[in-house]
Amino acid sequence: MSIKWVLFVVCATSFLRSVASAGDVVSPLPGRFTKADASETPDFRRHVLPTMGRMGCNSRACHGSFQGQGGFHLSLFGYDFKSDYDALTAGQHPRIDLAHPENSLILNKPTSADNHGGGLRFPEGSWQYNVFRRWIETGAKGVSPGDAEFVRLTIAPAEVKFDHVGATAKLRIVASWSDGATEDVTAISRFRSNDDSVATIDEDGVITSRGPGDSHVVAFYDNGVQPIPVMLPMSDRVGSRYPDVAAPTLYDRLVIDKLRKLGVVPASTSTDAEFLRRVSLDLTGTLPGPKDIESFLADKSPDKRARKIDQLLETPAYAAWWTTKLCDLTGNNPQQQSDQIYKREQSRQWYEWIYRRVLENKAYDEIIAGLLLANGRDKPDQSYLDYCREMGSYFRQSKPADFTARKTMPYYLSRTNVRKPEEKALSVSYAMLGVRLECAQCHKHPFDQWTQKDFTQFQAFFQPVDVGVKPPSGPEAKQLREEVGIDKLGGKNRKQVIATIHERLEKNQPVPFTELYVNNRQIPPFQRQRMEQMLKNNPKFAAQLQKKGKAGTPPTVTPKLLGAEEVPLADAPDPRVKLMEWLRRKDNPYFARAWVNRTWAAYFGVGIVEPPDDMSQANPPSNRPLLDALAEGFVAHHYDMKWLHRTILNTAAYQRSWRTNASNQLDNHNFSHALVRRLPAEVVNDVLMQATANRQQAEAMQTSMENRAIGPALDKGDRYLLVAFGKPDRVVTCDCSRSNEPSLVQTVFLLNDAALRGRIDAGGWMQQVRQQIQPGKGRPVSPAASDALIREVFLRTVSRPPQEDEMKEAKNVVATAAGPVDGIRTLLWTMLNTKEFIVNH
Amino acid sequence: MSSHIYCDGLHRRDFLRIGGLAGVGLSLAQYLQIAEAGQVGPSKAKAAIFVRLSGGPSHLDTFDMKPDAPASHRGEFREIATNAPGVRFCEHLPKLAKCADKFAVLRGVSHTLADHRLGTKYLTTGNRPLPSLEYPGFGAVVSRELSGPADLPTFVAVPGGEETTGYMGVEYGPLNTGQTPKPGRKMEIRGLSINGGITLADLDRRQNLLKKFDRAFDSLGNQDKLLVGLDRFTQRAFAMIRSPKVRTAFDLSQESSAITGMFGEESFPQSCLLAARLVETGVRFVTVSFTGWDTHDDNFTKLKMQQLPPLDAGLSGLFRALDAKGLLETTTVFVTGEFGRTPKVNARGGRDHYPRAMFCLMAGGGIRGGQVIGSSDKLGLGPEHTPITPDDVAATFYHTLGIDITKEYRTPSGRPVMIVRNGKAIEELVG
Repeated sequence: MSIKWVLFVVCATSFLRSVASAGDVVSPLPGRFTKADASETPDFRRHVLPTMGRMGCNSRACHGSFQGQGGFHLSLFGYDFKSDYDALTAGQHPRIDLAHPENSLILNKPTSADNHGGGLRFPEGSWQYNVFRRWIETGAKGVSPGDAEFVRLTIAPAEVKFDHVGATAKLRIVASWSDGATEDVTAISRFRSNDDSVATIDEDGVITSRGPGDSHVVAFYDNGVQPIPVMLPMSDRVGSRYPDVAAPTLYDRLVIDKLRKLGVVPASTSTDAEFLRRVSLDLTGTLPGPKDIESFLADKSPDKRARKIDQLLETPAYAAWWTTKLCDLTGNNPQQQSDQIYKREQSRQWYEWIYRRVLENKAYDEIIAGLLLANGRDKPDQSYLDYCREMGSYFRQSKPADFTARKTMPYYLSRTNVRKPEEKALSVSYAMLGVRLECAQCHKHPFDQWTQKDFTQFQAFFQPVDVGVKPPSGPEAKQLREEVGIDKLGGKNRKQVIATIHERLEKNQPVPFTELYVNNRQIPPFQRQRMEQMLKNNPKFAAQLQKKGKAGTPPTVTPKLLGAEEVPLADAPDPRVKLMEWLRRKDNPYFARAWVNRTWAAYFGVGIVEPPDDMSQANPPSNRPLLDALAEGFVAHHYDMKWLHRTILNTAAYQRSWRTNASNQLDNHNFSHALVRRLPAEVVNDVLMQATANRQQAEAMQTSMENRAIGPALDKGDRYLLVAFGKPDRVVTCDCSRSNEPSLVQTVFLLNDAALRGRIDAGGWMQQVRQQIQPGKGRPVSPAASDALIREVFLRTVSRPPQEDEMKEAKNVVATAAGPVDGIRTLLWTMLNTKEFIVNH
Repeated sequence: MSSHIYCDGLHRRDFLRIGGLAGVGLSLAQYLQIAEAGQVGPSKAKAAIFVRLSGGPSHLDTFDMKPDAPASHRGEFREIATNAPGVRFCEHLPKLAKCADKFAVLRGVSHTLADHRLGTKYLTTGNRPLPSLEYPGFGAVVSRELSGPADLPTFVAVPGGEETTGYMGVEYGPLNTGQTPKPGRKMEIRGLSINGGITLADLDRRQNLLKKFDRAFDSLGNQDKLLVGLDRFTQRAFAMIRSPKVRTAFDLSQESSAITGMFGEESFPQSCLLAARLVETGVRFVTVSFTGWDTHDDNFTKLKMQQLPPLDAGLSGLFRALDAKGLLETTTVFVTGEFGRTPKVNARGGRDHYPRAMFCLMAGGGIRGGQVIGSSDKLGLGPEHTPITPDDVAATFYHTLGIDITKEYRTPSGRPVMIVRNGKAIEELVG
């Protein structure tokens, strides 16, 4: 026996109990089990399950299916150790045979292609065969409570930079456990490429470069999900050959750092007119007015862009557009409001509550706290009847009280589609963390660290939160309901009941309202301890607990922050408070990043994490230092949203042209040039109005939000247009519910919709044009007046003066039209139908 | 109602590429097999109507009943005989039972994606969804492969569809009607009607004018998908607005009473009538969506009261009207949900998502009607024999339209992808 072999055996046999010293990495599993007489005892969690995962046994298409396959069911992605262990060893048809290991189904099925629906997985005598057989021979042990926990994956190389298509690199994956053991698990890990056109990865962890660009490959083992950046430069202008590119801000430097590695040279700066239109649409959802454009173009001062950003940040349109986005995110939909009569009013109040805070530039975390920590009664010691009077005062016809003065805004959590604690958990993780937890509701998240237990414990933060009447006010509420007769609201007396309610509201008499409240009752600790013990022993129990976790009852399990500590309930009568504290904590990896990333995505058409609502381990940021720096700055500036806007909008990256060069034309996620984006639905509605309204109305639209689709009123805007252009319905928790894709219907609408044509042909502005030109008096129109109107058409639509050739062409249009008014009208229609108008560029 | 889309907790990237199970492309041998499978006669269809039963209709309560199953599974409905020997449907589909000879039923169609969005992607593309690639839906592929008359939309969705244009880009997307038609009424598709003093000559002038002024992005060439798509839409839109055919097609009052009498008055049957008229006019692909099939609770009442009567009236009307107009031979009709529903009735009297066994219907375009292809097992738990995959169904569908599924498109990043990667046309249907 060679020395090498001796060492190997010692290392392998002592594997389970030994604490390997640092750097003592256990060699790969296949080598240790090449021989049938290997004496090591394989570990169920560390070796047996990952081997099955690697062969696809627990995939969705095979035994990981919710229904199982051939009567054998494994947990999806293999993280429910107990249930998988039971599926293999217990029940009527155990898959192993301790007395005659060689007769075990888990050996005979995969080796016999004929009787196995999944075909041949490994031959007899292969290392996989030996691992399984040896595990059975040694007693087929499962997991025990005292076992070491998985700690992390360490991957070499940490980053892969290719220099030609077809080049390869092999990964080595090492798993660390809490007992100090480390093992090379490359052979029993799974892999995925995030972009096959950049690089592919095979089952052995060999990466092959497929084309220029950058992406990640991801390795999976146990609960570990580890992305590895891969790239092939897009040009030969890398490193020292990279040109000198101005990087005026910290964030520009971080963008350029990445571009330099990729050999991507950024586009030049946008023109002043392009910048003005872009920033006005992005920041305020509004076109710049003709006067604004003229004075901005005439301004020769070097800081005019920065000043314009500051100026736009002070407009109501800024507050309205970003309130619209916050309403998208938090799901402000009139149909889902809690009140039976005042749904639409509630939806408007929700908007206004946020609007006021955005306008006053209240800190982002304060706004979120107002939603997350909301209570119906948010004044100390308010009685139920006083609460009802207060709520009534917001809905009465004459001089309604100011809802926006409320400290908290309860409608986010009182919506009918988030009544269950699990629904609140999903909404909060999506909106406030940018994390999708759906997967973990039913099984371990395949692309992140979240387990079902994590989900159940996260949902516990919301379990005591309910909509109804907070005990002990029940009897009072019942009496009031009877007095008002509100239970007849569903019947034929509806009108009468509503009349009674209106009347009482005007007299400041209470009418019954439901309230968002927290049940602070505690369940006896021994009971919860029992639940937790069960949860620990049987992960299946997590699903049952989720279902049992009825809203308005004390949490059955101790709430646990995502990826952080548990929150003992004794310290937290309202566990949401602890959740909010965690959101604000410096080490919170999601809260600030989620908002910073969404803001960035709104300005660049693509997030640093893309899609922005998928912050998961397998979907890493395209530029981590950039995301970190922005989030750090945002927190350091006390969640000042205007600071964030100002910072991003003042970067050279934001102000770049869409005109690409040979090195950056394929780049679409490293911010090397502006991406052309179709305008969002509400903005399309509003800019069409702006372009066709008379001069006074158009100006008023910049300051009054009342007639705007981005404003507070629910009935403003052309519904057909808004649907056709993809306004989100705010029901699903997905950033994808807003669609900015173009369609044939949109084009047909812009070309020929009767209502829109009416506004073009005879809207406010055309009436002014008609008056100005006065064709009735037979006086010829002066060329100067005609030219000024042509110029105004361009300013109103594409926000720039006409170029020389365009001016010539436009004059020709006016000269050859049935009359000058007709000429201007035709020109207006034409410009509204250019691509330049309907996109932000 | 839950606040998220994926009731089975699936993630948009919920597909690991796993060792030997990774989706492999077809080998040359497999190509040849398919080519030879051409027992496969020449295709007959020039157009298609794709009926999407959105939400996943129960197979056990419609076209794949199990009258001998225990009460816990078989449900409340009875079976009735049809005009096709040996073929039996649910009692709430009497009109379809009378024209069962016109269409084929596929049973034991099977896959593993129990999530609406992913199941829909699979069934509307014929390709199992991948995290890295968005496949185009049938309508987009047909729009690209079968160009129709320039003055008609190639692809109309009534009232709108869930199909995506995927890597093909937005220019192959549908004209969504945005609403469903009302009996005997002219449907106003906003923007399609010519009125308000505009003449055709005006339109010509305006189109020329637009070409002169819409040049800001000329320097980008065909680089930007969004801009290319916008251009394509503009050309089509002009042609359509000018077309008298379009206005006639959307005007249900111009249909003969003999035909309208075949349809019910609800919105689904009327949508089917519109689909028949659109195809008659020359539209290549019509998607009709019919929602409400996600019957997690109270399955039987919902089916009996809301879902099955319009389905019965709409589909039977569609098959008979196409036949009467002489269009059934040249039009393939494909009806599918995204999955079947759990054979065991749940505690709320509902059935949940169940992709292991579902049904599809196919008619016209050379499909032999009056037959059942495939079968599910005794309890409808899974295919009895070899499963029919969504890939195979899609391959069959494309075959009837003369579209070569092995044709490769290039994605924007240059990756070659076949139209259907793993499917094979089902011989019994098209042979």
